[in-house]
Amino acid sequence: MNVVVLIKRVPDTETRIQIKDGKVVTDGISWIISPYDEYAVEEALRLIEKYTGKVTLLCLGPVDAKETIRKGLALGADDAIHLNDPAFEGGDASTTAVVLAAALKKMQYDLVLAGKQAVDEDNAQVAIRVAELLDLPHVNSVIKLDLSDDKKSARCLREVDGDRDIAESSLPAIITAQQGLNEPRYPSLKGIMGAKKKPITDWKASDLGLDPGTIGASGAKLEVVRVDPPPARPPGKLIPGDAATAAKELVRLLHEEAKVV
Amino acid sequence: MDFSISPQHEIFRRTVAEFVEKEVTPRVSEMEERREIPREFYARMGELGFFGLRYPEEYGGAGADSMMFAIFLEEMARGYISLAAAAMMQCLMGTNFIYRFGTEAQRSRLLVPALRGEKIGTIAMTEPGAGSDLGAITTRAVREGDSYIIDGTKSWITSATRADFFTVAAKTNPDPKAGFKGIDMFLVEKGTPGLSVGKKIAKAGAVASETSELTFNEVRVPAENLFGGKEGFGFAALREMLNEIRVMTGALGLGLARAARDESITYAQQRMAFGKKIGDFQAIQHKVADMEIEIELSRLAVQYGAWLIDQKQPCNKEAAIAKLFATEAGVHAADEATRIFGAYGMAMEMTPQRLFRDGRFLLYGGGTSEILRNIIAKEIGI
Repeated sequence: MNVVVLIKRVPDTETRIQIKDGKVVTDGISWIISPYDEYAVEEALRLIEKYTGKVTLLCLGPVDAKETIRKGLALGADDAIHLNDPAFEGGDASTTAVVLAAALKKMQYDLVLAGKQAVDEDNAQVAIRVAELLDLPHVNSVIKLDLSDDKKSARCLREVDGDRDIAESSLPAIITAQQGLNEPRYPSLKGIMGAKKKPITDWKASDLGLDPGTIGASGAKLEVVRVDPPPARPPGKLIPGDAATAAKELVRLLHEEAKVV
Repeated sequence: MDFSISPQHEIFRRTVAEFVEKEVTPRVSEMEERREIPREFYARMGELGFFGLRYPEEYGGAGADSMMFAIFLEEMARGYISLAAAAMMQCLMGTNFIYRFGTEAQRSRLLVPALRGEKIGTIAMTEPGAGSDLGAITTRAVREGDSYIIDGTKSWITSATRADFFTVAAKTNPDPKAGFKGIDMFLVEKGTPGLSVGKKIAKAGAVASETSELTFNEVRVPAENLFGGKEGFGFAALREMLNEIRVMTGALGLGLARAARDESITYAQQRMAFGKKIGDFQAIQHKVADMEIEIELSRLAVQYGAWLIDQKQPCNKEAAIAKLFATEAGVHAADEATRIFGAYGMAMEMTPQRLFRDGRFLLYGGGTSEILRNIIAKEIGI
């Protein structure tokens, strides 16, 4: 079976994000595969180890997203498509989905996996939009995935408010991964060394027959006016005095100032 | 001139760092207490391909370059010197002779499982009376028909209690004038009659990487266990490996220095004294800046040494510099970290005291700083 995994390059979750002039400073950031996408890659690898087949990564991102794609290949994916065109840049969840859907139309797959959301902008929209554009079933935030023996359908376990539900879907479908789906492996050294020989194919807007006016910054419906860091947390208040006086003052403040009691 | 690191090297660095963070760091205090490395670490590191790093694929290795090996050791040492040292033994000294000079049968019986972490290999060179002055060893190997008979006592042997095979330095030519050149290297397997492992040596640093004495009492091995197949060959092969040992021990020092720096920065940004964070005082800032200088220069020295090894260029001087500078940087940074932590620098529940103890361990194997200075001086003609 062929599994396509949608991956996104995001800043390392330990990066201290700097903002300058209303924009995130990307210099010096180290990039990773979005952690939810890693669960998707791992799940794809496990399915292929069980059923045989091929794992293809599909990534929309700038030129240097190649390094992140290589990490996915090092984990064991067979090949990758890099949607690499300045025309794709500056887009939003909607235009990203349009490009990914156009790419998937050119590909053969039995299943598309992705993270439930990317950890940079936390939109949680792209996979579901792609499913809509391709008229495919979609199950999101899955923590356990089993295929039927004939590989024609998938049984997905999801966590819902304190309980669990099971969704069954025909395949092909787009399924997104939630934390808990699996424990991603490390790339083996052999995998890392072998990754540089694995093919990464670049597709541009023209390869996908897309009108540049409908994608990237020109097609985006969302305009980011500016980005601001969350306000610094105000310092705590220290109430002086002995326990009895301080407790009285605390009650007064909770009552009159914080208005919580 | 190109100082960039390839994406493969970067991905691998992150992989090792992640392994350390997730699987090693949480178990450091347990290993410090038990004073041994749980056996499952060998299987896990074998599975991740770490032990086969520098060996070809036909033996289950990855065929990576020395830069990759240095990165591996640096990241491991940043987490835990005991495990890094045991891993270096398994990757290099414990397996190198069998790879380079062993028979095909020996390789498939011992090397291949060692790279998977199923068997453990170690090297036995040091003796109670001979360390840096290796030419003074007294362990003898005497030819008798199709065998060699080995007699002598070894000391400071890493992982001896659990090793499956030993690469043993013994004199085939006892003439004192032959010195270093009278040494040959032999393969001795666990369970060979006459081979006994003595008591573990209690030490201050690298406590989980156990070291023991080893006694050879008329140990008979087949003549094919003489590495290189002829007498008088061992010393040259050993000398060749020594440069790699030195550069890679430098990588351990570099990792240790980074650990000390990171601990220091975190602590200096929290600890308050005289109404400010101690990191706001120049006295502390300068200590950390000095650590950073020595880290960056150590990195250059180690990577240059690794590059020279890969280029198969002579590097006696450069390897000695890398080992000396980077291990001293580790020792210095660990010392300064214990000062930045004040009395907590001695607290057993804090990390700096371990870095302080572990750093010392790096000063001996591969030549002391004093011996290395001799080599450097000799290399530049003085």
